[in-house]
Amino acid sequence: MTHQTHAYHMVNPSPWPLTGALSAFLLTSGLIMWFHFYYTLLLATGLLASAMTMFQWWRDVVREGTYQGHHTPPVQKGLRYGMVLFIISEIFFFAGFFWAFYHSSLAPTPQTGGHWPPTGILPLNPMEVPLLNTAVLLASGVTITWAHHSLMEANRKESAQALLMTIALGAYFTYLQMSEYSETSFTISDGIYGSTFFMATGFHGLHVIIGTTFLATCYIRQQMYHFTSSHHFGFEAAAWYWHFVDVVWLFLYISIYWWGS
Amino acid sequence: MASRLLRGAGALAAQALRARGPNGAAAVRSMASRGGVPSDDDQATGLEREIMLAARKGLDPYNILPPKGASGTKEDPNLVPSVTNKRIVGCICEEDNSTVIWFWLHKGEAQRCPSCGAYYKLVPHQLAH
Repeated sequence: MTHQTHAYHMVNPSPWPLTGALSAFLLTSGLIMWFHFYYTLLLATGLLASAMTMFQWWRDVVREGTYQGHHTPPVQKGLRYGMVLFIISEIFFFAGFFWAFYHSSLAPTPQTGGHWPPTGILPLNPMEVPLLNTAVLLASGVTITWAHHSLMEANRKESAQALLMTIALGAYFTYLQMSEYSETSFTISDGIYGSTFFMATGFHGLHVIIGTTFLATCYIRQQMYHFTSSHHFGFEAAAWYWHFVDVVWLFLYISIYWWGS
Repeated sequence: MASRLLRGAGALAAQALRARGPNGAAAVRSMASRGGVPSDDDQATGLEREIMLAARKGLDPYNILPPKGASGTKEDPNLVPSVTNKRIVGCICEEDNSTVIWFWLHKGEAQRCPSCGAYYKLVPHQLAH
């Protein structure tokens, strides 16, 4: 039998890239059908297909790494590069929305009344719930660092507790933000203020939900003893992503909630 | 073709289930003394474990580290292992050179780098396993 003489992982053929591409097609065409014709079946199928793709693809990655030992040091290095590059791409994604906000708010046009916030817009008070949200996310950054150090020190109980606290804080942020959304006097269709506010904070909120889900997955894996004290890249990737989400919020808070009010 | 892809995923599942080793009891005991989180010693498996154990002995069977250069003289050529009769060599003639000199090294007499003249000799290898 011929074995490899290198330390890399030649992945077995897999159907998930194909199902992922198909689900992307269903999601995009589904959005169109929903926006224009109020028809939801395509979108629902796309959401189900993409969720199943993600679950099965990442389940296979866990099987290959944790259960089969394919994640050698060079492979782990590649995964690290991958996560870093992905987060950088997300930074550029948010840069677009911040550009839109600053483009319109730095030089307010006659249409806004020549000032920012535009005439008639009552912004949320940055010293109320938005400030609490800032504290919640900053605290969650502390708890996840605590969880990481506990994991590296092989302390199972504290690592699990700190991770659970991080997840709880993330969920609390989402709950607070959702209640804030119902409190605004403006909607997404209320001019450029509404558009920039809800696009930027909306996508941020989606990323908080994604990050919380990633952390919850880490919690389950930790309970199943997947992580060792020296090899736990899935956890580190989740932590990096979580810190990224926190930093984006800080920029949002300072730019839109505070300076923009 | 789709069925072959699905069979691949199924094989992965079967392998994963069989990969849970028989050392559960020993692993739990050593985990408990540490604080409950397993170590790589407890639970690294497969290629990762093989590389970890070899590295402890100072070995690099999977060529993770770059090869150490010999003096490259006719008497002491750089020995280049190969599983076939030829292998591509990339010579970094002087340290920090960014232009790598690439050439095929064939079985037989030692060849010289076309740029710096260092000697290289192919050493045919059987795959050990």
